[in-house]
Amino acid sequence: MPGISIRNVTKRFGDLVAANNISLEIEKGEFFTLLGPSGCGKTTLLRCIAGFLDHEGGQILFGDRRVDGIPTHKRGVGMVFQNYAVFPHLSVQDNVKYGLKARRVPAREQAERASQALALVRLEGLEDRLPNQLSGGQLQRVAIARALVIEPEVLLMDEPLSNLDAKLRVEMRGEIRLLQQKMGITTIYVTHDQEEALSISDRIAVMEYGIVRQVGKPWEVYVQPGDAFVAGFIGTTNMFDSEIKTSEGGLAIAQCGGVSFGLSRSDGVAQGSQIQIALRPEAITIRDIEEPVPDGHWVLEGEIIRFEYLGSMIKYEVGFSENVTLLVVSYDAEPAKIKNVGQRVKLSYPIERAKTFRKDRPQ
Amino acid sequence: MKNIFQSKNLFWNLTALLIFIAVIYFLVVPVSSVLVGSFQTEEDGAWTLKNFLSFVKYRTYWKSLANSVGVSLAASVLTIVMAVPLAFMVSRWNLKGKPFIIALSTIPLMLPSFISAFAWIILLGRAGIVSELIRSLGIPFDSIYGYFGVVMVFTVQFYPYVFLMTLSGFNSVDESIEEVGRSLGTGPVKTFIKVSMPLVLPGILSGTLLVFMTAVENFGVPMVIGEQKPFLAVQAYMEFTSDIGQHPGMAYALSVVLIMVTMTSLMAQRYYLRKRNFIQSARGRPEIKELRGWARRFATGYCFTVVLIPLIPFFVALVISFLEMRGPVIHPNFSLQNYSYAFSHMARPIFNSYFLATVATLISVVIGVPAGYILTRRRSSIGDGLDFAIMLPFTIAGTVLGIALIVMFNTGFLVLTGTWMILALSYTIRKMPFIARSSSSILYQLDPAMEEASISLGVNPMKTFFKITIRLMSGGIIAGAILTWVTTISELSSTIVLQTPGWSTMTVEMFQGILSDDMGMASAFASILIVSAIVPLLIIIGRFKEEGSSLF
Repeated sequence: MPGISIRNVTKRFGDLVAANNISLEIEKGEFFTLLGPSGCGKTTLLRCIAGFLDHEGGQILFGDRRVDGIPTHKRGVGMVFQNYAVFPHLSVQDNVKYGLKARRVPAREQAERASQALALVRLEGLEDRLPNQLSGGQLQRVAIARALVIEPEVLLMDEPLSNLDAKLRVEMRGEIRLLQQKMGITTIYVTHDQEEALSISDRIAVMEYGIVRQVGKPWEVYVQPGDAFVAGFIGTTNMFDSEIKTSEGGLAIAQCGGVSFGLSRSDGVAQGSQIQIALRPEAITIRDIEEPVPDGHWVLEGEIIRFEYLGSMIKYEVGFSENVTLLVVSYDAEPAKIKNVGQRVKLSYPIERAKTFRKDRPQ
Repeated sequence: MKNIFQSKNLFWNLTALLIFIAVIYFLVVPVSSVLVGSFQTEEDGAWTLKNFLSFVKYRTYWKSLANSVGVSLAASVLTIVMAVPLAFMVSRWNLKGKPFIIALSTIPLMLPSFISAFAWIILLGRAGIVSELIRSLGIPFDSIYGYFGVVMVFTVQFYPYVFLMTLSGFNSVDESIEEVGRSLGTGPVKTFIKVSMPLVLPGILSGTLLVFMTAVENFGVPMVIGEQKPFLAVQAYMEFTSDIGQHPGMAYALSVVLIMVTMTSLMAQRYYLRKRNFIQSARGRPEIKELRGWARRFATGYCFTVVLIPLIPFFVALVISFLEMRGPVIHPNFSLQNYSYAFSHMARPIFNSYFLATVATLISVVIGVPAGYILTRRRSSIGDGLDFAIMLPFTIAGTVLGIALIVMFNTGFLVLTGTWMILALSYTIRKMPFIARSSSSILYQLDPAMEEASISLGVNPMKTFFKITIRLMSGGIIAGAILTWVTTISELSSTIVLQTPGWSTMTVEMFQGILSDDMGMASAFASILIVSAIVPLLIIIGRFKEEGSSLF
């Protein structure tokens, strides 16, 4: 199983740059996800890797083998599509055998490998069904078995779960991950669902406007977002524009709507600079007014505007002066500790958890 | 342009190029020579405006333009009156037997319009059965010969275009859109006029334009029932083939005028539709109004009456074919003499019709399916040219095409005039665009990921086209081919120009039977044609319900 190297790949559609000088190194056996909103270029990049699109600049390599210029049917990729693309006129078994026939695998071996692949996706017993007798989840399993049975060098998945209902989606993503680890196959997975990406991937590339904003492990892109877009796109976050008022020692203080926020001082956070602050709801602790606060925490006082009780957690919206509000998540959902609307509370967060991004960064 | 000749696209671009060249060689060049000929003298080919001056000067000529356009306009308006309320009722009311109403409504499009004209004459001609009946009641009635007859036959024959397109318009107006309209405080009637009608209007208008174009180029109906009134298609044919004195130059000029009329209406349609393409976005079905008791029975009865009236003439032709005939006089005795005559003396035309339709259909499929594929899946600069090239045959009336092909292939290195090939060629030119269009609309509904999945599994694009694309399209292609075959055996307007004694067809024999008052033979051929059309049609309706519906 080779890794995949993408070097300076660019793809334009007319004036639109769908993939802008993208470089990525994907390890062998890695589960790598391209994540971003629709129109960010993730599917374009995947289709360049598959060979359905010809990119303009740069190179794509599977291991040491340069594949751009090689037509798709000779690239040795397995591909799983959003709409399953299971051939409706062929039985489950014949769908799975389709790629083996094209490779002129002997008939007996075809049958053997097809039944192994179907066992792998837990579809034993449905070999002779026609696709119109299968559910969406089963269709996607056929598509996965069909892609895996040809033992492709790389597996490419284009939003494979987006047509399934929410519960099945969660179930299937666990299965896909397990299957991929068992086979150790290098996989590129495209999705717009950030939760899916976090749960399934070894690493994630977050994309926007044809540019890779950040590459990292799921917790890296979540906890250490490289820019305001990544911070806003992945997970829920409190985001607001602000201006640095003072910056000395290890602490910078920014103001927004009359509320002061303490920030860890870093490069570029000079006095007077315009910034964006991103603060995860779960980084903030909600306390009673008189409760003590640990060292290194910044403290704010506000008033509960509303809350949502979700069982395992409670979401609070806390208001300050002049329409500044913060979303806070508390996993301490004990009934006795639930705060009431109108109650004054103390919020605190470790200052290093407040991320700052310069607003004047080039878009 | 740079990737046109890359190996990846080479096959498809070459295919597109070949079709393009074929259209130019077999259609554009012949039609252009008609255009050139219209500006030349018949004697020495010198440049002249004589033909067009004659057109303006002589009543027969300019009147033929006025008649063709006037009659077609009248028929267009009447089809709206006939078809739009019908479409509304079928779409929105809980009528009984809706699938039958829809199926019955498609039949007139499949049957030759001049058979309809012929049978209406049997009923409402000077000596017609119904005419006599009317006169016996003391009501003064002559016959339906003339403008009235032409307009009536066009209306009952071509109304399905408006009906089917309007029906799909009414069906695709989302209920929620109408509900939004109503929730904003407009009444049901006003909502219908302000919200639903604009969404249905494109369907109505493009159906009407189709009626207009089909009517204006029609040859058989005015010839049979128009009673010496001049019409463009008929006049061009007469000037070209007349025994008394041929005027090819005049025939060319009339052809040019006819092309200008059809071209203008097609352009108008395309221009209109380009700006209004919002019909297909609906999700929900519209609300069906539940009628009860007599209201429901009355509405159902009305709709069945409307779709059955156009079928009366075909029924009459079938019945008459089993009666004893002496010239135009019917004797009410059962007889198979018409058929024994048809099969013994006219076996050749029957064979010719089937043979030519089969050849032309096969060629149309072989060319039309790849053409449809290129139009949908392989859009390039050549593909755009192809799109235009495939539209062209729609603008050329059958009579004009016949004249153009004779002029082109009379001499030179490819002589086809007088052979069966020129008939097959004409049919192919006229029908291939239909196969290409329907293939392309089938492909629009086929997820390209199917083909990509096959390619990613290691099957090259060419093989994928045959193993997956063609396979998944096959139902629609077969249905389209059958419809093509059915409409080809009833082609008259170019056949009448191109046929030779050895290569005449059922339609030609039947037509000549009508003109020479040999009603027996005409009705036998009419019946053979009707059965040849109805049987395949029933097969389609039975087997390809889903695919077939998208073809009309």
